[in-house]
Amino acid sequence: MGTNVGNVVIAKATDSTLWKSLLWRIIEELYPSNKISFHVVEYFMDSKVMTIAIYGKRLTQKSQFIMRIVVDTYALAERHKRRNKKMKFKIEEVTVYFPYDNIYPEQYAYMIELKRTLDAKGHCLLEMPTGTGKTIALLSLITSYTLSKPQSPIKLIYCTRTVHEMEKTLAELRLLHDYMVKCIGPSAKMLALGLSSRKNLCVNNKVLAAENRDSVDAGCRKLTASWVRALAAENPDVPSCEFFEQYERAGSAAVLPPGVYTLQDLRTFGKEKGWCPYFLARHMVQFANVVVYSYQYLLDPKVAAIISKEMQKESVVVFDEAHNIDNVCIEALSVSVRRQTVDGARRNINRMRQEIDKFKATDAGRLRAEYNRLVEGLALRGDLPAADGWLANPALPDDILKEAVPGNIRKAEHFIQVLRRLVQYLEGRLETENVEKENPVSFVFSILNHAGIDQKTLKFCYDRLHSLMMTLEITDTDEFLHVQTICDFATLVGTYARGFSIIIEPFDERMPHIPDPVLQLCCHDASLAIKPVFERFQSVVITSGTLSPIDLYPRLLNFNPVVSRSFTMSLTRDCICPMVLTRGSDQLPVSTKFDMRSDLGVVRNYGRLLLEMASVVPDGIVCFFVSYSYMDGIVNSWNENGILKEIMQHKLVFIETQDVVETTLALDNYRKACDCGRGAIFFSVARGKVAEGIDFDRHYGRLVIMFGVPFQYTLSKILLARLEYLRETFQIKEGDFLTFDALRQAAQCVGRVIRSKADYGMMIFADKRYSRHDKRSKLPGWILSHLRDAHLNLSTDMALHIAREFLRKMAQPYDKTGGTGKKTLLSQEDLDKIVLEGSMNDMLY
Amino acid sequence: MSSSVQQVVKRAKYKSTVKDPGTPGVIKLTRQKVVFKPNDPTSNNKLDVDFRLIKSQKNTKEGSTKPPWLNLVHSQGSYIFEFESFSDLHVCREFAAGIISKPVEAPKVVSDEQLSTAEMTLRMKLLGEDSKLKKIHMELVMSDKLTESEFWATKKKLLDQDESRKLKQRIGFKNSLIFDTKPTSDGRINQVKFQLTPEIKYQIFALKPAVHQAFLNFVPSKMSEVDFWNKYFKAEYLHSTKNAIAAAAEAAEDEDLAVFLKDDEILENEARKKVRRVDPTLDMEADQGDDYTHLPDHGIFRDGSKETSEAQNTLYRRTLLQDLNRQSEVVLEGKTLDIDMEHPRTAVEALARRKHESDGVVEERRNRISKMAQIEDLQAQDDHPFAPLCIKDPRDYFDSQQANAVKTLDDSLSGKEKIRCNLGSEEAYGSLRESISNIKTMGLRDPLLSHEVAFKVLSELTKNISSTKSNLGKSSQESVLDILPNTTKEKLLDHWVCSQELLRHFWSSYPVTKQSLVDKARRLKDAISQIYSKLEEIKVSAKSDLRHQVSLVVHPMQQALDAALLHYDADITRRNAKGSKRNGYV
Repeated sequence: MGTNVGNVVIAKATDSTLWKSLLWRIIEELYPSNKISFHVVEYFMDSKVMTIAIYGKRLTQKSQFIMRIVVDTYALAERHKRRNKKMKFKIEEVTVYFPYDNIYPEQYAYMIELKRTLDAKGHCLLEMPTGTGKTIALLSLITSYTLSKPQSPIKLIYCTRTVHEMEKTLAELRLLHDYMVKCIGPSAKMLALGLSSRKNLCVNNKVLAAENRDSVDAGCRKLTASWVRALAAENPDVPSCEFFEQYERAGSAAVLPPGVYTLQDLRTFGKEKGWCPYFLARHMVQFANVVVYSYQYLLDPKVAAIISKEMQKESVVVFDEAHNIDNVCIEALSVSVRRQTVDGARRNINRMRQEIDKFKATDAGRLRAEYNRLVEGLALRGDLPAADGWLANPALPDDILKEAVPGNIRKAEHFIQVLRRLVQYLEGRLETENVEKENPVSFVFSILNHAGIDQKTLKFCYDRLHSLMMTLEITDTDEFLHVQTICDFATLVGTYARGFSIIIEPFDERMPHIPDPVLQLCCHDASLAIKPVFERFQSVVITSGTLSPIDLYPRLLNFNPVVSRSFTMSLTRDCICPMVLTRGSDQLPVSTKFDMRSDLGVVRNYGRLLLEMASVVPDGIVCFFVSYSYMDGIVNSWNENGILKEIMQHKLVFIETQDVVETTLALDNYRKACDCGRGAIFFSVARGKVAEGIDFDRHYGRLVIMFGVPFQYTLSKILLARLEYLRETFQIKEGDFLTFDALRQAAQCVGRVIRSKADYGMMIFADKRYSRHDKRSKLPGWILSHLRDAHLNLSTDMALHIAREFLRKMAQPYDKTGGTGKKTLLSQEDLDKIVLEGSMNDMLY
Repeated sequence: MSSSVQQVVKRAKYKSTVKDPGTPGVIKLTRQKVVFKPNDPTSNNKLDVDFRLIKSQKNTKEGSTKPPWLNLVHSQGSYIFEFESFSDLHVCREFAAGIISKPVEAPKVVSDEQLSTAEMTLRMKLLGEDSKLKKIHMELVMSDKLTESEFWATKKKLLDQDESRKLKQRIGFKNSLIFDTKPTSDGRINQVKFQLTPEIKYQIFALKPAVHQAFLNFVPSKMSEVDFWNKYFKAEYLHSTKNAIAAAAEAAEDEDLAVFLKDDEILENEARKKVRRVDPTLDMEADQGDDYTHLPDHGIFRDGSKETSEAQNTLYRRTLLQDLNRQSEVVLEGKTLDIDMEHPRTAVEALARRKHESDGVVEERRNRISKMAQIEDLQAQDDHPFAPLCIKDPRDYFDSQQANAVKTLDDSLSGKEKIRCNLGSEEAYGSLRESISNIKTMGLRDPLLSHEVAFKVLSELTKNISSTKSNLGKSSQESVLDILPNTTKEKLLDHWVCSQELLRHFWSSYPVTKQSLVDKARRLKDAISQIYSKLEEIKVSAKSDLRHQVSLVVHPMQQALDAALLHYDADITRRNAKGSKRNGYV
């Protein structure tokens, strides 16, 4: 490293700052009084190597000794640096910063596709197996892309399905951000934040004390609505929220400094400054470089209209874990009316009536002012103070006509009358003995006939209600949810003539003895809700671990992707072990098919399977059942025949219930049990909340058992209507869609066990139907490629044997880079070579 | 040093003090004990003392005015015996001297530790449990090669372990459902009996804080314990019928019963508190708070994927699933059963005491999420200074052993013609054709092989196989031992264990810094040389056909002992040469 030339020491270094600081620190330490005078006289630097010449007046033996130390220390530091060398590489003209030492080839290929999409300013669809680091690849490329094009910055809107995924994404982003700032300096700083509801962001203890989300929202409004604040300004006894007041007072000074903010960080910041984190975050969303929030903030018009209306076109929207995006879309536009709704709405209407009378007596001018406003049109919502805004129109903004509210409902009393008639009509429709199905056009027609409300009036119901509630200064909005539902319904049914149907059921199919009539307006067309997103934003990225078959999604969502790719996973070793178990220990077939489901033999076979596996597999096991009721039933019968007791000898048992708090705690305890080595089993439901977003990676899940095929309840009227719509509109066969839907759920469940190539896990599909080719082939490619023919028709004892062998094999050390064959982990050098040769494709495929 | 005399019996008078006129009787000195039996069987002055407790001895000089007294000093005082003559005294003194090594030095050599009875019983127990240990103990301590404390000093682990085992290992909370405490019915209608053990009561309290609270409140001020449990099981019965309406009705009538039927408020509060500290990456409650699509009556209500539950009376519906979660949670929290459960009251109080937990976990949770976010696999590999653990398939190991065995077999045959293995297919085919044509022309030789050759080959092969087989997986020493007659084998093994123990003590006494160590080393050297000679004896006495094997076994043992002896001698000469210190009194 260094050469001693007489009294000159020359050393070569690749990093000047490190070198200099090291040198001077050591000199200072050894010669505090600085008696020896030597100094760095010159250093030459070309691109890679810095040469430092040090001259000293009296470079004695001692000082040469120092030099040696310096050189040694430097070598050490160099080695250390090599060990922590994060990546930085080029994809065409973009320098990509990647906060790890290595990268998977899949990630690299993924980034290339992503960059093509950004270049083309189009939409894309990318399927990449779970456990290959999609999120960091996405974040890394998009932020690097933005940095490389400072003249046209793009905003990243990252949509997650759940709050905990949001937290995870932000944590990864922070890692990346720290790295970029370290590499580039302060110019790389950006503002990234997560956004959630008041319930998750509020720091006012009085408001937070409320039970649920709606009461928190209402509690906030009670303190922050403009008229309340006006009152509070005059009368100090009227309570207000200090955090909001301070935020308002700070005005334009209330900004978040650059950085990455999770919800917790926002709360902490808010508490520190005394500013309301919720409103601060909502305000900062416009200026942030990266916004992470939930799907519905873009897809659900009720929320999107408030939160996302200011986002610029030059944004990249990412929907992560988007395999269920079609369901989210149709849910966003669906409403149902039950008997409770009707009763509640009637109470609400009475209350409003009283309020109107009160205002008439005291402040008639206010109602008149409202009337005048309505004549001019509804476009004034934008002027309302932020704190007053609540959920917006349930219909999509483009579908709302830009015209004034029809004359017959401009007067408050008239509107109340209309609502009364509507509620009356809906109540009448609920009194049915048979299932009825209707399309919106005929439904609207019959409303006109029976209640005398025309389509245009219906359409404006929501906005009219909104305006009225503002005028009446109603703050306890959580009490008025029912009438809002009725108006949502009216607006939707008045706006859309196709893609919807109205289904009235007198009772639940599965519980015919309990009368529970419901009138449902259900959306069948997923493309409706997502259409504005595709139109508004430059690029939309839809990505997930399971998007098979990938050609179905563009049809369901009605868009044209510029890139549509499905990546396989190159594994260093066979770290996933899917198995299809068709028979139990007594060699009889197992299935959750309707006629076999309650068969005691099947129940026992499933129980024995779990018991045997629990005795063999270390740490965590996850079980997915096809439904809550099935899980409840089977766990009860396991308890009765003693299998559960035996299982509990091996591992602790935790279960997902319908109560989220309990489930959250159960999950937390499950993790603790796995961490401490006790081992545990988690029972969950295939379409439940846990299956959607909780990872069971590493020791949290060494085995996942999918009991049965998670088909939807095929007798559901809504499902049938949707299937009919799909067949008519997209020519998708019912059976195909059902199988596709069931298997994407199954794949999603089992995919939760793998997080990286170093991780390993087994997947058991316990149902004889999985052995059929038409079912199995719908599984994503990365599972199929590891499903050996020998594992297609197993019984419990065979599966047990395979599990033992597999676990032993996985416990062995291995070469992470994939050794001499195909590389499965790339270092900086590997990547440089690839870029040089342009041989990425050879490596991947 | 010690004579071969096993015991000495003399007439003497036992005096508890010098002034005591003495009790006439018989003194019997064995290697282990000092026993005095008075002539008068009714006398209380019997004596039965372990020789190890005797620290030193004094005696009166011949020709002095005093009568022949032998004074055996022990920790609390001394036993004085007056003999009939000085010659008797000398015999006893010498015998005792052989047992009490170095009477003058005794306080240093002999353990001066005060053993508690507990310690003593523990040692006895260990010896009783482990026959091998007992054997060594007998061999070394009883024959005075090592003192008691020296012997146990190297066995500290045994002693410690045994004590700590009792302290640290506690019974955890049982992971079995108590909810199905099965009632026994005596055949009469409408009456069932529950067996309640204190353990079950404790479990119920741990699982259901509300019941626990109710017990504290009601018993015994409001109702008796029996009434309390009656009510409890009535509530449990109502739960088990899964009839929420009936439960609600009952609860409305009887407010005490309602306590058991209602949801556990304490648990709920606890849950609410805990959920705030939960890892944010699995906080599903936050999701719910962010979900505006599923406002009441929004989203798809009845599409079959979601299940509706009757909203009424959820208060009185506790499900098995909830119970299971609670059960596992309690097990995980590690409530133990280390308290006296005889009295439910104490159980209750003990539980109440355990409630305090530290709250500084919030910070840790936050760190956890950022740690969780990183993908470990993509980070640089750490160069660990150790090789990763590799549990290979055991068959690989044995296969390699087999290969070795075959190799040795090859080596043993090396004198014979070597077989060329690298035949090409051409050559092989050629040779096959050749032999076929040979057979064609000459016919099969009859017999193919001569008997002698066949037998020789067979015996040669099998001999090798059997010997390698017995070598597989075992040390060669053992396999040789198997051949030896049982007595010799056992003797050898005993000597082996014994010499190991001695050597350990020997080497641990170096460097000799204290007089006591010098002394110990000397004693050990003596013992070692004894064993050495015994080994030599075995070697010589072995039958001629086994002598070689025996010497093979004995050789390494003797080598080890030799090394010790050499070291001892070298050390002595070195210390003598220095001359600065007197080399003890040897």
